[in-house]
Amino acid sequence: MTETLFEKIWNSHVVVERDDEPSLIYIDRHLIHEVTSPQAFDGLRVNNRKVRRPDLTVATIDHNVPTTDRSLPMIDETSSTQIKTLEKNCKDFGIKLFGINDPNQGIVHVIGPQLGITLPGSTIVCGDSHTSTQGAFGAFAFGIGTSEVEHTLATQTLWLEKPKTFEILATGKRKNSFAVTSKDIILSIIKQIGTDGGTGHVLEYRGDAISDLSMEQRMTICNMSIEAGSRAGLIAPDEKTFDYLNNRKYTPKNYDDLVDDWKNNLMTDANSKFDKTFTIDVEKIEPQVSWGTNPAMVSDVTSKVPTPEEFGNNNEIQIESAKKALSYMDLKPDTPIVDIPIDRVFIGSCTNARLEDLKDAAEIVKGKTVNSAVSAMVVPGSQMVKLQAEELGLDRIFKDANFEWRESGCSMCLGMNPDILKPGERCASTSNRNFEGRQGSGGRTHLVSPVMAAASAIAGHFVDVREWC
Amino acid sequence: MIGNVIKYEQDNIDTDVIIPGTYLKIHDYNELATHAMEGLDPDFPSKVKDGDFIVAGKNFGCGSSREHAPIALSTCGIKAVIAVSFARIFYRNSVDGAFLLPIEVDEETYKKISNSDSLEINIETNEIKNITKNETYSMKPFSEIIAQIISAGGLFKYKK
Repeated sequence: MTETLFEKIWNSHVVVERDDEPSLIYIDRHLIHEVTSPQAFDGLRVNNRKVRRPDLTVATIDHNVPTTDRSLPMIDETSSTQIKTLEKNCKDFGIKLFGINDPNQGIVHVIGPQLGITLPGSTIVCGDSHTSTQGAFGAFAFGIGTSEVEHTLATQTLWLEKPKTFEILATGKRKNSFAVTSKDIILSIIKQIGTDGGTGHVLEYRGDAISDLSMEQRMTICNMSIEAGSRAGLIAPDEKTFDYLNNRKYTPKNYDDLVDDWKNNLMTDANSKFDKTFTIDVEKIEPQVSWGTNPAMVSDVTSKVPTPEEFGNNNEIQIESAKKALSYMDLKPDTPIVDIPIDRVFIGSCTNARLEDLKDAAEIVKGKTVNSAVSAMVVPGSQMVKLQAEELGLDRIFKDANFEWRESGCSMCLGMNPDILKPGERCASTSNRNFEGRQGSGGRTHLVSPVMAAASAIAGHFVDVREWC
Repeated sequence: MIGNVIKYEQDNIDTDVIIPGTYLKIHDYNELATHAMEGLDPDFPSKVKDGDFIVAGKNFGCGSSREHAPIALSTCGIKAVIAVSFARIFYRNSVDGAFLLPIEVDEETYKKISNSDSLEINIETNEIKNITKNETYSMKPFSEIIAQIISAGGLFKYKK
């Protein structure tokens, strides 16, 4: 019988499966952070339960940490309390924590792979929707809520309905592989399948255009799977995957044996059936810029802001949502995308704050200066990314161009720390969500790739970044 | 279960408008509730009554995994969200913590229900009675796992 990669991972983790009932699935790795875990630990205490496998549980602090000088006391008391609560919970329950001043601190989905905690064929959960990022390694990695965090802490398992499978076949070759990035590929996919196109499904990205991507680029694709509503995103592991995870801090000692096993097992069998399939030719993809308030409201950089009718395609609700989005974004239909001026630039987040992202952005910025009307910042995804970037001199390039160079964390992606937009400010952001108020109440977010964000910071408006490299 | 409708004629009502990120630091449910729906309808906490239902379009609760979203709505008194479809994590969060019922209806039913209508939801018969309009609609039955978690009263009571 042929099986898809997802079905193989699922089947190898089933603890209990009966007809017409949910399945109990074993969880290999549980990552936690300060925001979605406090109530889960409260629940354990109330019921006098322990953490079943503290050795499979890892914590870090990322969502509300300040990205400014961390030797200073935190100004925000509620954030400080939340951080101290996680520190206490980890201490009480014996969980490894990469704390605020740890050299391995960083955004949870950046440090998992970087430390070799994320492994092919495993099940990984975290109380964070962008856990899907780690599917780039051929893991079934998905976001859960706090009740499920508590259930995982207590039992190392979860009751789940088996998701359906959805093949995303990416063919062709990008015309300019520096300026047209994996961010542009995933935004193009979401634009076409919609914000609920993947609901109830695990997306498996396949095809030459996916194999062609580096691990970090693959993570950007899987990261945004959740923006299409899917349970998770998945890419079959290959030599790039095995090389990436080799010799990391927590890479297992029997790594070579594991790799042999993964090579034999972790792929979708030929002629396997997916519940759904979607094909995209990446040769046709241009740099993308979002104009609206969800990640499907996206346009080619050479096009114009659509009219609500063009976007809505006879669907009344869609037309109304486009009108509302344009009003919130203060944009007029038919405005060329390259004529939209910006106030802020944010290069960061679990989507695009890894070393390659920063290297590519620095390549654009080198020797230039941020437009005087723009304030721009770079927030590395982890302390390790920051250090590696500094060793390459990227911090100098950004600082010389008037970018701020910050400490690692989620930062302006979700506006939980002081890094927020002021009402009405317009930001070119490498993050994942352009929802109303996401980056601060009244703030306006345009989702773009790191190279697009960098070039826009210099120009003061969006540009066809293909002309810059 | 009888309650009145607060209707938002919108798809993709995301978790960032249900409870903006800046409030995720709040540990106290009652304080969290004062910011429910702040990104979409700042008057929501003052107009919502205990037992009310929210009615909305497709993909309700898309975005973040924050359980704070159903918690904030439920603490305000919302007993059910009736929508054309839900984002997966919000859906599971709603039933896992026994915060509220996520009820799926077809597009036609969604259009028939108006703001302020009084509804009676019966999850045994999968029927929604519109008392105001004297109409009856069917809701999509819960899947086996969801029905079991709901009847147990949350994830931790399920299969205990």
